Amino acid sequence: MTSWRERLLAPGREPVWGSSLAVLVAVAASFLVVAASGKDAALGFAYLVEGAFGGPGPLGETALKSGVLVLTGLSVATAFTVGLFNIGAEGQLIWGALAAAVVGHALDVPALLLVPASLFAAGGAGALWGLLAGALKVYRGVHEVISTILLNWIAIHLVHGWLVPGPLGASGSGTSVSIAGTEAIRPAAWLPRLLPGSRLDLGLPIALACATLAWFVLTRARIGFEWRAVGAGAGAAEACGIPIRRRICQAMALSGAFAGLAGALLVLGTEHRYPGVFRTGYGFDGIAVALIGGATSPGVVAAGVVFGAVRAGATRLQLAGIHPSFAELIQGIAVLLVAAPRLFAPLLVRLRTYARPPGAPP
Amino acid sequence: MTAALSGVLEFAPPLVLAALGGVLSERAGVVNIGLEGMMRAGAFAAAVGAFFTGSPWLGLACGAAAGIAAAAVHAALSLRFRADQVVSGIAINLVMLGLTSFLLEATFGSSGVTPPVPALPRDSAGRTALAWIALALPLLLHFGFSRTATGLRIRAVGENPHAAATSGVRVLPLRAACVLGSGALAGLGGAALSVGILGQFDVRMPAGQGFMALAAMVFGRWTPLGAAGAAFFFAGADALQRQLSFSLHAADLRLSGVFLALPYALTLLVLAVGAGRIRAPAADGIAYDPEDPTTTPESRT
Repeated sequence: MTSWRERLLAPGREPVWGSSLAVLVAVAASFLVVAASGKDAALGFAYLVEGAFGGPGPLGETALKSGVLVLTGLSVATAFTVGLFNIGAEGQLIWGALAAAVVGHALDVPALLLVPASLFAAGGAGALWGLLAGALKVYRGVHEVISTILLNWIAIHLVHGWLVPGPLGASGSGTSVSIAGTEAIRPAAWLPRLLPGSRLDLGLPIALACATLAWFVLTRARIGFEWRAVGAGAGAAEACGIPIRRRICQAMALSGAFAGLAGALLVLGTEHRYPGVFRTGYGFDGIAVALIGGATSPGVVAAGVVFGAVRAGATRLQLAGIHPSFAELIQGIAVLLVAAPRLFAPLLVRLRTYARPPGAPP
Repeated sequence: MTAALSGVLEFAPPLVLAALGGVLSERAGVVNIGLEGMMRAGAFAAAVGAFFTGSPWLGLACGAAAGIAAAAVHAALSLRFRADQVVSGIAINLVMLGLTSFLLEATFGSSGVTPPVPALPRDSAGRTALAWIALALPLLLHFGFSRTATGLRIRAVGENPHAAATSGVRVLPLRAACVLGSGALAGLGGAALSVGILGQFDVRMPAGQGFMALAAMVFGRWTPLGAAGAAFFFAGADALQRQLSFSLHAADLRLSGVFLALPYALTLLVLAVGAGRIRAPAADGIAYDPEDPTTTPESRT
């Protein structure tokens, strides 16, 4: 019979504690920074909570941002299973967003077909960009950290510097190329809004469905097992007859598809076009979400919702005279802290000794 | 032609300095994805330093110091706490993105740019001292790596730290020094952007230059001369693109994204074609644990 304290502090739960502690310490540290700069940190905190949870409007904003973060987090986490570090969610998201904007504008079909078609196109576009990194890794030996960074910037410059202001730009928008963006998508392609008085749409449910799918594939399906085997040791996996090259490419494609879907949520849910100025950073935030979520689907959902709330709440910080970059600061410090599990290891060991009943074997 | 050349010398220093920073860190076996964040810290601190002291030179020093401070975090995390070096670098980027925006607002009440700061003096051809530094430093670093004992030790801890340790090299302090040096170079590169080129800090800095420096480092095969050459080449492509966008019809300006993507696409192409011949230092990215011989490059699959 184990006590609840022992169960809470079981060795397998270390990542959960580490991540939670990291987020808490990051929030505290960020508020110290705010207080040190002479701002009213308590007021800021009140605005932050209000902006994230205070009513249907703020809750909708939290849900919107959480949905996107969960998807980019899943993208990075999926690549982790085969042992690859996908820094390229940003680029995959950009192609997904562009594909959704193009399909959502070009096809003239009812919403019941158009929304899935746009989502599918976005997932496909993201998957191709992810697959490219995977293929370069397994067939040409290009390290994925380097290739995905390069692919990010290729996507950013090609889409923002050429396709959106050029061939795919809205016609008749005049000379202001920088702000025009693509043609607006059809209203039939808009993600349905679920709650009056808020921008809550189908995005978060889609993201949660993807998280469930990822959880099932990664932990319950045979292919997920093989992916994890490749991630744990490619040599051993190959000796067991697992086609490691194909498995890595598949995982990278799914990884890219998740990031592409995240882009679709932004375009179909709120932007309703590929905007001329589109610096999301959600792809890079996905790395933070995946790391803090311990690269598991439930962890990614939890971390995605936490940072979605922080991002949504941060928009209100300006009311207290605090810069909204505060959200990035919290996120960055939290990643700094989870980056080094050894920072918290001594603390956890001590907690566990407290939890152990006296006289029990260590 | 001379216009293009002076354009290169104007815009290359940030990229060259940061790329050399990447080379210094990675040749010692520590991956530095945090160049972007270190440049950003340097760019901001340099503008602040120059603004409050009135001296652009002190601004440059502040920029280098800020880069060192950010690199110290990277060194502590990845060397002392053996964090994943890629994760640590990403964390540096995230923190610096948020922190500088926050400090910019807190110090100057602006979410866009700092006020103009004192500029570096320029010679008759309009060049700053940074142009000469960007030309001289690669040679200096090349000489250091290839002809000095310290350079040999740095390369040794980047290829096989355990072998280096057996021959009496103190691996972790040497790696830490290289990471700090990398931060100083990246910070100076950032300072070259704010104090050197624009004359103020812009919240969008360094706009991916840190990542382009990484690309230059890879393109240059992790060597000082190669990385600097690639950086000059990329800066040249950038200068060419700027010139074209001035001289051509406005409609063609929309192609500028293709030009901007070119350095990254070329690097990727070179990596894909030259696979096997382009190789990172063998112990690059592997935490060094003196007690654990499995952290040698050979044991990695």
